[in-house]
Amino acid sequence: MTIKIEQLCKTYNPESEFPVHAVDHLDLNIEQGEFVAVIGPSGSGKTTLLNMLGGIDKVSSGTVNIDGNELTLMNEKQLIEFRRDNIGFIFQDYSLLPVLTALENVEFVMKLQGHAESKCKQRAQELLKKVGLEQQQHKRPAQLSGGQQQRVAVARALAPRPRFIMADEPTANLDAKSTAELLDIMESLNKEEGTTFIFSTHDSRVFERAKRVIVFEDGMLKEDK
Amino acid sequence: MLVKLAWRNVWRNKLRTSIMLGAMIFGAVGVMLMMGFMNGIINNLVKNTIQWQTSHIQIHQKNYALNPDINLVIDNEAEITKWLEQAPQVKAWTSRTLVNGMIASARSTRGIQVNGIDLESEPKITPIAEHILEGEWLDDKGRNPILVSQKTADRLKLRVGSKIVLTFTDTTGDVTGAAFRVRGIFKTSSSTFDDANVYVRKTDIQQLGQVYFDHEIAILLHAEDQVSAFSDQLNKTFSAPSLNNHSKSNNIVQDWLQLQPLLSTMMSSMDAGNQIILIIFVAAMGFGIINILLMSVFERTREFGVLMAVGMKKTNIRRLIILESGFIGGVGAGLGVFCSIFFIYVLNQTGIPLDTMAEGLNAFGVDSTLYPSVSLNDYVTVFTMVWLVSIFSGLYPAHQIIKKNPVEAMAEKQ
Repeated sequence: MTIKIEQLCKTYNPESEFPVHAVDHLDLNIEQGEFVAVIGPSGSGKTTLLNMLGGIDKVSSGTVNIDGNELTLMNEKQLIEFRRDNIGFIFQDYSLLPVLTALENVEFVMKLQGHAESKCKQRAQELLKKVGLEQQQHKRPAQLSGGQQQRVAVARALAPRPRFIMADEPTANLDAKSTAELLDIMESLNKEEGTTFIFSTHDSRVFERAKRVIVFEDGMLKEDK
Repeated sequence: MLVKLAWRNVWRNKLRTSIMLGAMIFGAVGVMLMMGFMNGIINNLVKNTIQWQTSHIQIHQKNYALNPDINLVIDNEAEITKWLEQAPQVKAWTSRTLVNGMIASARSTRGIQVNGIDLESEPKITPIAEHILEGEWLDDKGRNPILVSQKTADRLKLRVGSKIVLTFTDTTGDVTGAAFRVRGIFKTSSSTFDDANVYVRKTDIQQLGQVYFDHEIAILLHAEDQVSAFSDQLNKTFSAPSLNNHSKSNNIVQDWLQLQPLLSTMMSSMDAGNQIILIIFVAAMGFGIINILLMSVFERTREFGVLMAVGMKKTNIRRLIILESGFIGGVGAGLGVFCSIFFIYVLNQTGIPLDTMAEGLNAFGVDSTLYPSVSLNDYVTVFTMVWLVSIFSGLYPAHQIIKKNPVEAMAEKQ
């Protein structure tokens, strides 16, 4: 499965005197199973790129094609279903549902997909075990540390077996130890589940462990290594 | 899953939800008590009107209501009373000879309606015999005994044993009269009624007035819900040509609502008043819920953005918010109605003493102790309206949220 981006543009305030080109005529291919870091200074367009790849933000022009599915041509309902079934999200602030337990948070997207209760529970418990939170499965996010919450977020993103995970600065709020633990987990899941990870980061400890690093500046691809 | 999430979201900010529920409970109890109080007044008024004045149904000569002339007696009375004796719906009936005249004591004179009553059947229709404050109920003994109200007794300075003179026009058009002796003094819940009525034996008044038929038949049924149908049946039966003389009956059959059109209007007005109070309460509560929900929803805008991003359909987000408002409304309305049932039950047992307003209430025929009552239908109406308004209140905040796309929603600060 491939993500193929052609001439992708995102312009904020296009009608104004000073339009902002967050992503500017970008061409990019990402293959299934890659572990990709998108790096660049603040305001370089990393988050905007991830949002467009994840189908949660509209493009100004260009195409985003995921395995033959053109995201820019999908209507809202199709896009929601595509995201639900193919893309997982990890956010900088974890964004777990505070009223649900760790287990319920992980089960959540699977339940949205309509899977049976028992299947959701089994998968969620399996993932929580993988991220080392088997004992904390009945705790609510407020009862977990930042690192533990982000591990729950990783498990949640992986639960519906998405083909891509978009992680927007997943380690920004974590200390060094938690960052290392989270990267270990993400790497092992990338290997075991074959899930493609695309994450934006400032953190050199993170991008040093990426297999591919895309350097972004002023909305344009500066380097792809 | 949505239900679980919505329920937990409702209790996310316990203080805020509790304040909202408290407002709903107090509001609902207030409205129900107000409705109960109004219903209590109306029920009491209806009960007293039926007990003392109209019974369920009355039969008169059809011109009697316009001109209560002594000669306007009921047509075919014997036939009607025979029919009433056999009707299973009838609990009791009585016939009365009524004349309008003057009552005079040594001190004063007043206009009065003289009710010539049947001593056996009248107590089955009106509770007059149980409302004698001084003296005794009428019997066959003695010459011309009379029952006067306490109010009349006070005005005419009468006591038990006092002598009064009744004068009125007889069937020949001559003024007639006789001396009566006060046998008892009564008091009903209506000072207006007391002011205008005295009771004598039917035989005495008939002899004096040379009238040997009655002006009024009062009927009490076993069940109030049969009144309308029975009244129609009576009308059909006795508006047809009479069995004996084949002429059309001149009688009119009226139920208590027709006899007291003012009461009917008051009942409609009270109903309308109750509805207006309910609508005002529900509208105010609706705005309160919208306000709470707007706060609750907008502070979670980012969270809704995340839900959209991970694949929750906008219809489900709308459902989630409406479920939350439905839960608040259901719990608030449920507790409100539950507390109302409790308070109204307690007040219905103890009564609300309104002694300071007794004089004013009695003028309208209302007792000075009120027993609020709310029908099951009213409880269901209040619960349903509060609940539905709560659900509708969720629509606006839900609409505001689902207008946003995930990125816009997630860009909102929490």
